[in-house]
Amino acid sequence: MNARAVVVTGIGCLGPYGAGLPALATALASGTPTAREVDRSAGYHRRHSAQLVAGCAGMDLSAWLSPQAARRMSDLSQFAVAASRMALQDADLADVRSDRTAVVLATALGPGGFTEQLARQILEKGGKAASPFLFTDCVANAAAGQVAIDLGARGANLTLCQREAGPLLALAQGAEEVGRGRADICLAGAVDEMKPLVHALLDRFRALARPTPHGEAARPFDRRAAGALAGEGATVLVLEAETAARARGATILARVGPSVRAFDPTAGRAGFGRDAAGLAEALGSGLRGTLAEVDTVVSGASGVRTLDRLEAAVLRATGSDRAFVMAPKAITGEFGGGTLATAILALRGADFAVPVACTQPDPALGITLGGGTHRAGRVLLTGLAAGGVAAWTVLDQP
Amino acid sequence: MSHAPVVVTGVGCTSALGTTVDATWAAACAGRRGIAELRLFPTASHRTSIAASVELAEPTPAERGWARAERFAMVAAREATAGIAANALRTRRAGIFFGSSTGALFEGERLLAELLARRQPSVRPIAAIQNDGPGTSIARALGVRGPVVTFSTACTSANVALGAALDALRSGEVEVAIAGGADELCEITYAGFNSLRACDPQPSRPFRASRAGLSMGEGAGVLLLETLAHAEARGARVLAELAGAGRSCDAHHVSAPAPDGSGAAAAIRQALGDAGAWAEQVTFVNAHGTGTPHNDDAESKAMAAVFGARSAQLPLTSTKSLVGHLLGAAGGIEAVLTTLSIVHRLLPPTAGDEPIDAALGLDVVTGSARALPEHNLGLSTNLAFGGNNAVVLLRSWR
Repeated sequence: MNARAVVVTGIGCLGPYGAGLPALATALASGTPTAREVDRSAGYHRRHSAQLVAGCAGMDLSAWLSPQAARRMSDLSQFAVAASRMALQDADLADVRSDRTAVVLATALGPGGFTEQLARQILEKGGKAASPFLFTDCVANAAAGQVAIDLGARGANLTLCQREAGPLLALAQGAEEVGRGRADICLAGAVDEMKPLVHALLDRFRALARPTPHGEAARPFDRRAAGALAGEGATVLVLEAETAARARGATILARVGPSVRAFDPTAGRAGFGRDAAGLAEALGSGLRGTLAEVDTVVSGASGVRTLDRLEAAVLRATGSDRAFVMAPKAITGEFGGGTLATAILALRGADFAVPVACTQPDPALGITLGGGTHRAGRVLLTGLAAGGVAAWTVLDQP
Repeated sequence: MSHAPVVVTGVGCTSALGTTVDATWAAACAGRRGIAELRLFPTASHRTSIAASVELAEPTPAERGWARAERFAMVAAREATAGIAANALRTRRAGIFFGSSTGALFEGERLLAELLARRQPSVRPIAAIQNDGPGTSIARALGVRGPVVTFSTACTSANVALGAALDALRSGEVEVAIAGGADELCEITYAGFNSLRACDPQPSRPFRASRAGLSMGEGAGVLLLETLAHAEARGARVLAELAGAGRSCDAHHVSAPAPDGSGAAAAIRQALGDAGAWAEQVTFVNAHGTGTPHNDDAESKAMAAVFGARSAQLPLTSTKSLVGHLLGAAGGIEAVLTTLSIVHRLLPPTAGDEPIDAALGLDVVTGSARALPEHNLGLSTNLAFGGNNAVVLLRSWR
């Protein structure tokens, strides 16, 4: 329970759609993902593997990160630092150097590129060939640490690794840092990079949509759904106490509502569980009256059938299926915090197209995706993770 | 701020000194090191050849395909929860707060080696590679239905997790929490720390004038935490109180601590405030004490900053000299040992017989275990990559 009301006063986001909320808005309005062919030259992929990735290759981050600084960082750290700087600009905060500035980031996969390079050095040339430069930026919390160094943020510096539920858990944890008075400002969000090795491993685990006669696409809640689109990027929100934000005249993008965390022990080690009733009960009792006023759901559904089935059942059981339901991972891909950015956009009001790959709703799931111009009053964000973790968070109009 | 007490009612650990708390504690109090020639993987191509490795029994059928870190975590969690009814954990009022830095990197390296050799590896290990493996495996095995969160903040991971558990228990989100960490040895971290010249070719010698680096280790440390009301209602024996937690970031360097120890000092002060305690009430310290010249120097400055001249009389030990550096699990096993120090009123010695570095100005316990007073407030500190600092305070219970 947070003692202080917490609000969002800035956002930085980047992904396959580009950099910034307007770029995301354009992508969501088009209903079309920006995906390119994944590099399969390393030989990690199987012959009939997924071929597309919603990647950020070639993105120009120089407005937020000097080339010299970028050279010292993994892609993961670059994404995190750039999104954090973007978020602070958006919040009109020039200097956050303080022991009252916290950083809370989620990463599902960590710096896979540097880790792979380091592992290859060791496996192919021996331990003495290991690069200290690669090693120091290949721990999961390197990105949050780089953000802290870049901004002089000396408060709590936390990194959560909880797969698809990570972004919502990070938002809740960040709100707790501010709400409990341990921090005045918290940069909270998610970051992930998608390298060919990780892409190939996800594909081998049958988590990704593969080429079909209908094309290769993530189709959340669609009868043709057969996997997710692997993505990358970062989304960082600036969180402040509402009183402090109003006192400095900040533009408030959202008020952070209650969060619920739960676990479904019926889930396998890499799969999704079946206990929709248990999860719905956790969500319903955790949010109580708040849930009835939800008019928008930003769903974590990704096109993985077992996930979408569980998600749909939870939404139906809680009556949330009657809201305007969005599934932005069809556009942004899985990972990189696109759901967080989409929720902020929904509260601001924007045009949202039904993703072009999701035109045949699965009647067994009973979820129809919303489309058209929409402005949310209360958003429920959902995050069900492989392995059993579940998280939900509410964001309200300020 | 006054909080309802959170108490420790169970402990479990897996270390190179033994796969039970009793075995580890007895060896630690005898000053016996678990650091020896490493047999987990060939060390000929590495700069050093020793580590504190855990000898595990053959996996049970249910554990086939599990990563070593998951098995360490499970052994420790089962021991910590041996005294509580299974039904008390199969509820939404029970949660898991866990730390892991390497996850299942050892198995990941084997997988990558297979891929590089153009073989087709089993996909089963892929499920375990992510850092949340140990925490979610415990949750699944014990049927927990409340929050399950994994923190990956390198060497502070478990202390961060303990702090998060404390928050959840104080807020009333849960009544019972299993908290700690697990990590496993692997070539990436072994070669990585060696590439930084951070590993001592001999068993580590924390706070000694001749100190030359750390000794890598692996294992798990787990606490069973409860609200006092829950513990009393079931008639549990209270071992200690988890009195407070503190976290900070140096925002100084990706891998080196701030030389003046200011970040660590800030975390200690925050924990003291959280516990409603004064520095004068701390009776002993289980230090981060890696044995690297920079760490021990910075940590001694943090002690001087917080405790003043008293730091020269405050009993301090580094149990990493006994069990090795367990990275993301370090805070877990050190919290277990700190709890046992409170229960038994005994502080294990720092291993080694070289002269203590007098310039550090610390009262390092050496030779044999030191008797402690009847009532104790024990401080356990950990510092990490990314400038991360996280500490916890454990207190005698009445």
